[in-house]
Amino acid sequence: MSQNVLSVEQLNAVYRTELYGIKREVKVINDISLTLKRDEVFGIAGESGSGKTTLIKLLSGTHRAPLTVLGGKVSYDFEDRDACTDVLNCSRADLDSIRWKNLSYVMQGSMNVLNPVRKIHKSFIDFAYRHMDIPDKDDFREAVVTYLAKLRLPAEILNSYPHELSGGMRQRVIIALATICNPDVIVADEPTTALDVVVQRETLNLIREIQGQQKNTVLLITHDMAVHANIADRIGIMYAGRLVEEGKTRDIFYNPSHPYTQHLIGSLPRIGDSSHKEGLKGNPPNLASPPTGCPFHPRCPRAKKECSERNPAMEMIGDEHRVACYYHGAK
Amino acid sequence: MKKKNIFKSPFFKYLVQRLGQFLLVVFVGITVTFIVPRLSPTNPVEQKINQMMVSGANIHPEALESFRSAMTEMYGLEGTVWDQYRAFWGRFLRGDLGPSLSSYPVPVIDLIKKALPWTIGLMLTTTLISWFIGNLLGGLAGYFPEKRWVKWAELGATCIRPIPYYITAFILLIIFCFIIPVFPTSGAYARGVIEGFNLKFIGSVLYHTFLPALSLILVGLGGWLLGMRSLVSNIVADDFVLYAEAGGIDQNTIMKKYVIRNALLPQITGLGMSLGAVFSGALITEIVFGIPGLGQLTYRAVISFDYSLIMGVSIFSIMGVSVSVLIVDLLYPLFDPRIRLG
Repeated sequence: MSQNVLSVEQLNAVYRTELYGIKREVKVINDISLTLKRDEVFGIAGESGSGKTTLIKLLSGTHRAPLTVLGGKVSYDFEDRDACTDVLNCSRADLDSIRWKNLSYVMQGSMNVLNPVRKIHKSFIDFAYRHMDIPDKDDFREAVVTYLAKLRLPAEILNSYPHELSGGMRQRVIIALATICNPDVIVADEPTTALDVVVQRETLNLIREIQGQQKNTVLLITHDMAVHANIADRIGIMYAGRLVEEGKTRDIFYNPSHPYTQHLIGSLPRIGDSSHKEGLKGNPPNLASPPTGCPFHPRCPRAKKECSERNPAMEMIGDEHRVACYYHGAK
Repeated sequence: MKKKNIFKSPFFKYLVQRLGQFLLVVFVGITVTFIVPRLSPTNPVEQKINQMMVSGANIHPEALESFRSAMTEMYGLEGTVWDQYRAFWGRFLRGDLGPSLSSYPVPVIDLIKKALPWTIGLMLTTTLISWFIGNLLGGLAGYFPEKRWVKWAELGATCIRPIPYYITAFILLIIFCFIIPVFPTSGAYARGVIEGFNLKFIGSVLYHTFLPALSLILVGLGGWLLGMRSLVSNIVADDFVLYAEAGGIDQNTIMKKYVIRNALLPQITGLGMSLGAVFSGALITEIVFGIPGLGQLTYRAVISFDYSLIMGVSIFSIMGVSVSVLIVDLLYPLFDPRIRLG
């Protein structure tokens, strides 16, 4: 058993559509390689449309047409089974057997992810009963109640319908649902985005707490850098479907190396800092017709001729610190 | 557990509110059916007298006058409109809809009672069957859009659906009664069979009503199928379904409890509306296939200026629609918990 629970190798994917015979391809995931270690929180940051959610769909094996994988491998190494290689090509039955037991998913938009006509208790049966090894339904219910109590959720919510719960409660139910089977990997897509800051903080603490007890790997996606600063051990920065920088949270915040990351971090408000924040010029590239070379070069203050011709590969520049830029380094 | 006071429960409040609405709708509906015939320029009494004159009857003016007042009383047309209205409600609440004018002196209520079982039997069964089959096929079609039979079922439904009903009915009639004469052309049961609860009569009725039922099912089915298919194909892309799939929940549960269960909600409302329409009868079906139901009764009432019968039939269909919508509204919280507390 290796130290890594997930390794992604040269993943490439496109949204492929065909309308009235006109084929269109939008390259959303461009050559991403990434490894996740056991017992860590890995954050992925990036602006809207940078491919964060698409990446998560691929990693959790929930992609559907028109999203098409062009190449690459996503392999997990779970503790209790032989290495599950390549979720992109395994059968539905194989995927279903790892789902929730080894790999659970907190989907974006927690307000709508529970079946509106099903009581919460039934949802727990649907998602977790198969994996819990508690054949008696009453005992199972007891186990759920005990687990909910740990998450400070009252037992009564089991008899409620999703619409009867507040947004924060619903989010906690989703997190309870995703963690009750003690999975190896939890993939969370914007788990705090629709919540106000108070509930956001509670939710983050909850994720942190559960992760601390269960020692699972959490892959957390959000565009909110403050969330990453609070919870992530390592951070990957995405831009235009590419991973442009990856490193320990400290390094990303205090020693960013890619010009895009530097702008991103530089744009964050700091207490006591009243200087004017410089915005990035231009817009994120259109992925249907991306610029040649490095996708960031049209907006990059350091761009040289080379940047518009070739796409820089990821290069190790420090302890677990990788960056994809020819002219990386401090400003 | 503490005993709840039923009169203070939200459901009771909802029930009272909903019943109030129901009574209001029925009241307004019946009032309109009372007013509309009275706005007509023809006076039914004069009409009747003219008919008699035309047929050559020679009546003494005094006799004519007493005949006129007798007729006016019989038709409930004495006094001001307000007096008539009050008298009308008095009779209505006693279950008396007055005598039919065209088949005097048979009470309207008796005519309706005789026609109603035919219409209800035919429409209720066909509505339920087409709702059930249509939703089943539509649900499967929406959930498995790539299957080959789905494409054929959809093609069939989209082809049959826009054909006007009377054409479908006549095509069936021509095919199965003339080209391949396996079914009778008209009537609800064979001549000479005695009405009653016996095997021969029931068999004869089933045989005679098979074609009209088939025509109604064919036409109804397409609508339910296409409606359900598009509902399902939307719900399949909803977050909670994608989430259930990401959770590795078995496909059968997802299809039944997540997709179909949610897609059925608007279809249940639709069923309630169609069940209400049962009471207005199937005019064309009953005329094409000669079924002595409410539709035929309405048709006869209209062509013979039988105002009291027209009113009687209208009141029945108002009651039918209102009652079934009321029932659907009261039962709906059982299907959709979000409606529960009104």
